[in-house]
Amino acid sequence: MSMRYVSLRALQRFPSARSGTPESRRHPPLPNDDGGLLSPTRTIRIDPERLAQILGATTKTNQYGDYLSVRCWCAQPPRYSPDSRALKLLSPEAPDQIADPDQWLFLDTETTGLAGGSGTYAFLVGIAWWEDGGLEIEQFFLREYSEERSLLSALRERIAEHPVVVTFNGKSFDWPLLETRYRMSRKISVPTPRAHLDFLHSARNLWRLRLGSVRLSELERHVLGWDRGADLLSGVIPQIYFDYLRGGSPERLVPVLNHNQMDLRGLAALSSRILSLLSDAETLGQDGLELFGVSRICEKRGEHTRARSLYEKSIASILPSETDRVARRSLARLAKREGDFELACELWKDAIGNSRHGYEAYEQLAIYYEHKVRNPDQARQIVQQGLNELRRAIQAGDIAPGPYREIKAKFDYRMERLERKSKRPLWDALALQPQA
Amino acid sequence: MSPSQSLAPRQPASLETVHNILGSLVARYRQEEVLTAVRQIPAREAKFRPIPGWVTSALAEAYRAKGIQELYSHQAATAELVQDGKNVVVVTPTASGKTLCYNLPVLNEVLENPDTRALYLFPTKALAQDQLAELQDLGTRLDDSFGVFTYDGDTPSDARKSIRERGHIVLTNPDMLHTGILPHHTKWMRLFENLRYIVLDELHTYRGVFGSHLANVLRRLKRVAKFHGSDPQFVCCSATIANPGELASQLIEKDVEVVEENGAPAGEKLFVFYNPPMVNRYLGIRRSYINEATRVAKEILARNLQTIVFANSRLHTEVILTYLQQANPSKPGQPEPIRGYRGGYLPGERREIERGLRDGRILGVVATNALELGIDVGSLDTCVMAGYPGTIASTWQRAGRAGRRTGSSCAVFVASSAPLDQFIVQHPEYFFGSSPEHAHIQPDNLEILVNHLKCAAFELPISPDERFGNVNLPELCEQLGEAGFLHQSGGDWHWIDEAYPADTISLRSVTSDNFVIIDTTGEDRGKPEVIGEVDFSSALTTVHPKATYIHQGQQYHVEHLDFDKRKAYVKPVDVDYYTDAIRYTQVRVLEVAEEQAFAGPAARVHGDVLVRSQVVGFKKIKFFTNENVGSGKLELPENEMHTTSFWLTLGHTLLAELPFSLSERQSGIFGLLYALGSVATLLMMCDRRDLGTAVGERPPSAASDINWEDFAGPANSSEAKEFFEPNLYIYDAYPGGIGFSEPLYRSCTTLLNRTLELINACPCENGCPSCVGPTADHSERTKEVALQILGRLCKDTQFMATRTAETA
Repeated sequence: MSMRYVSLRALQRFPSARSGTPESRRHPPLPNDDGGLLSPTRTIRIDPERLAQILGATTKTNQYGDYLSVRCWCAQPPRYSPDSRALKLLSPEAPDQIADPDQWLFLDTETTGLAGGSGTYAFLVGIAWWEDGGLEIEQFFLREYSEERSLLSALRERIAEHPVVVTFNGKSFDWPLLETRYRMSRKISVPTPRAHLDFLHSARNLWRLRLGSVRLSELERHVLGWDRGADLLSGVIPQIYFDYLRGGSPERLVPVLNHNQMDLRGLAALSSRILSLLSDAETLGQDGLELFGVSRICEKRGEHTRARSLYEKSIASILPSETDRVARRSLARLAKREGDFELACELWKDAIGNSRHGYEAYEQLAIYYEHKVRNPDQARQIVQQGLNELRRAIQAGDIAPGPYREIKAKFDYRMERLERKSKRPLWDALALQPQA
Repeated sequence: MSPSQSLAPRQPASLETVHNILGSLVARYRQEEVLTAVRQIPAREAKFRPIPGWVTSALAEAYRAKGIQELYSHQAATAELVQDGKNVVVVTPTASGKTLCYNLPVLNEVLENPDTRALYLFPTKALAQDQLAELQDLGTRLDDSFGVFTYDGDTPSDARKSIRERGHIVLTNPDMLHTGILPHHTKWMRLFENLRYIVLDELHTYRGVFGSHLANVLRRLKRVAKFHGSDPQFVCCSATIANPGELASQLIEKDVEVVEENGAPAGEKLFVFYNPPMVNRYLGIRRSYINEATRVAKEILARNLQTIVFANSRLHTEVILTYLQQANPSKPGQPEPIRGYRGGYLPGERREIERGLRDGRILGVVATNALELGIDVGSLDTCVMAGYPGTIASTWQRAGRAGRRTGSSCAVFVASSAPLDQFIVQHPEYFFGSSPEHAHIQPDNLEILVNHLKCAAFELPISPDERFGNVNLPELCEQLGEAGFLHQSGGDWHWIDEAYPADTISLRSVTSDNFVIIDTTGEDRGKPEVIGEVDFSSALTTVHPKATYIHQGQQYHVEHLDFDKRKAYVKPVDVDYYTDAIRYTQVRVLEVAEEQAFAGPAARVHGDVLVRSQVVGFKKIKFFTNENVGSGKLELPENEMHTTSFWLTLGHTLLAELPFSLSERQSGIFGLLYALGSVATLLMMCDRRDLGTAVGERPPSAASDINWEDFAGPANSSEAKEFFEPNLYIYDAYPGGIGFSEPLYRSCTTLLNRTLELINACPCENGCPSCVGPTADHSERTKEVALQILGRLCKDTQFMATRTAETA
């Protein structure tokens, strides 16, 4: 059918009832220099020199064409050199490959969307490396999609110079997106960094319990004590770029560049903080939670002795009750693994009560009495205590029916088995595998 | 596959047995009225060809080890064409070994060149699973030298990466290709760089809206493949339709070779049409087809013949299942002999039923169309169809569920009183003749195309010299640019939006503009729950204020419709009525594409139209009795849709000559359109909802703005109005049209003649739901008027002369 009668719904934007992108979140049309409103069709291409001036950028050229580069140096954060203890915790397989901090390249991108896929672009790629005791920052800005190849080529060269890529959540977001961009370019092969350090997971271990969220800006505020001042919400960034592409004012890009710069500085400072904690949490840890976080990392990496001593230290300082319980439970687990049942029993005895951990402690004690002490009666007593506590809790309404049923069934089963065992100890000892 | 080998020995169906069963069932009636067709289809000998010399010995050996020493002629022909680099469509009835047609050349290439990649598309996930088992079996026989995986919504995310790298053959569905693979094509580099083959199985299911979408998904697929340096070849399989080659070449937009001769053997088959006896001749009421189908199945099962019963809805499946299980209780220690099979059953349960059918432990199964397409259940003795499956192709596919390569089988079709069923059951020659069913698509439907253009731009920037369907691409990109979706840079058009376009576009409907339905019961607790969605076009008729909306058997009362926010707020209720919206539809002609006068003062036309419809009220209709128990008025926005339409113009002289009153003529015109609409769905292989009908008046009369309710006649005679020259519109019920109008125009003669036959053969007195619509809505002479009009339209000799050319 002919075009002229068609009012295509596909061309309209509908309020999406599902995803709920309220119209208010979209930016109102931007006033242009004359103070008039820009219609989306009036694309005014800004003079390249003025754009460079506004952004404080220089135009550079490589074999694929021009690209914009914004450079600056910051004394804050200062260069940090990690020691081998920290590097081993961070990258147990190949700590030597990442040992030289001058080979590190901090990287953070601003993109046209969060969904990924081949139609999402990185319009601003920020990188940074240690130089003259501080941080040298370079940002590549995509003036037009057609300049993507020159930008990617420039980035590739930087990665060759500093082959250890350091990011925050880059393993699942920034890097796959850049890989896609390189593949889409068809001319430039995907760079192969020597290593990729993503600090998101360490940050989660260290601070999620305290802060709830581990967004970079939150970590800066609470861990580094920085104040970003007026910063953009990252949700609005793609729209600012689209507005610019459609001829909107380039001044609004300046906060985006600043935001990216702050992300890079925050990332560099945070990595230093994380590395120093990994190296010496014992003296540098600001609170029990950080100690606790490092102990968890140590435990995961199999450094049980250090983990144990850090758990003990974190419990000795003041921990919020929930974390304290988790720390004691982990410590008990480590103590049990190392055969230190004296400590483990002490921790379990402290823990028993009406909570998930409390019931787990009854169970652990029962296992201990049954299989280590080989005293089924004592095991039965402790299970009975657990059952008594359960009965009290359900009558008082201190436990939800779901968990109650689940734990009750487990305890009943254990009790039944223990009763049989105390009646026919020999037969059961032969027929049943130890539970531990 | 050779399912017959795995079957436990059982007494084969004897045609005599089935004859006797049916004979005794209808003994009380005039047999020729109930058993309208009893056809014996003779056995067919296999035509064998040797396995071609180019097939690697390992592969030939693997097939021989499965018992395949030689190929059927169609398998050999297809494999040769694929080997020659041709795009092929092979027409294959059920159980003719179609998977070998594509697996043989594809696997041969994979074994010779391990970089080769192939993508298999199946319309459903279940079919892909079924094929996976077959390919894995071949894989184990070939030392696992190739990787084959399904990739769909159920694929765990940790498995996805290795599938992208190691899958030589990836089995998926069009929806997953659209949302999960193409937008992430850079992650699928290995596949796209080496993509040699694309297999489209069950090609005939890609028609109408779904087919039009698929054609555009394939356009995107070819672009992406080209970007990565490959140009894949297509191998398609279709059930029997009239235009497999045309459909395939429209979908893939390449030249296609058609393989139609079938070399697979078949045992002899008895095909019976069963029209439930009349209980009220005057009103055209027949005995319930569900009960009749159950009776037939019960008698057959009693003779210990393995049987599959097809019903057209989940509800009917359960009803028939209950009856049959009562009649065939399970014996102690034995599994249930009669099972159900439909969507909603768990995969494990389905596999168990499939196995039970193959090895003969299950005697009968009652299924929906879930068992119609290629799932391997072996071959059964008899098939009973409760209601017409909708198309001839589906009917043969279902019937093919019964039938061995040797021995005899039987299929019984029990007709409901719906017009289509009645037409088919009374015109067996239409069914048994060469297939008149054409599958139609409209890949250039602008609404659909523009949505896929967005996805295409997301996947790869669009270059202005590219082609995407038969549209002015630069102009469309310009428009998408103005709407803020695209941005031109360095000549190419790039996607600039945060959204991921494929997420909002469903391949099963035209626009993504939906209303969500929210159950407000939990609102006090802050938990209103979204229970469903309806697309824009049906929202006004199904979720208007005060409507009763039925969702999974639960009734809801629509409390409030927020039109702007596209939300309907509902509360569960329990009432004994449902609501039926009163919609007024007006069609205005925008542009005539073709017009031809015939029968003197009449004309057939197709072209672009504007359909305006408005829901102005609703009726409350009591369950079971269908009494009208109340009504209400509504003020809702008018809905406009540009689409394509076919229409007939009846000249004034033609009507004026008819010896009937004004209101009788009126009623006759509506009755005629009702019947025309039914037959049109038959010819177009489409659903009743895909076509809208309306009566209007031929322009340029200023008085042409008459509103008439959708294909129901005027409710009372005071509304009757003299049509000077009425237009009977049959329009595509989707914005932009879905490709039915021009084919309807071309087959106008067939449409008129078939409609004449339908009404003529209907034994009711004055019209019934099977022909011109229920009498309650019409004057008593509706049927007579409709027949007279048709008689005049069909006797035009000049027009008749072109008939053979058109329908050929």
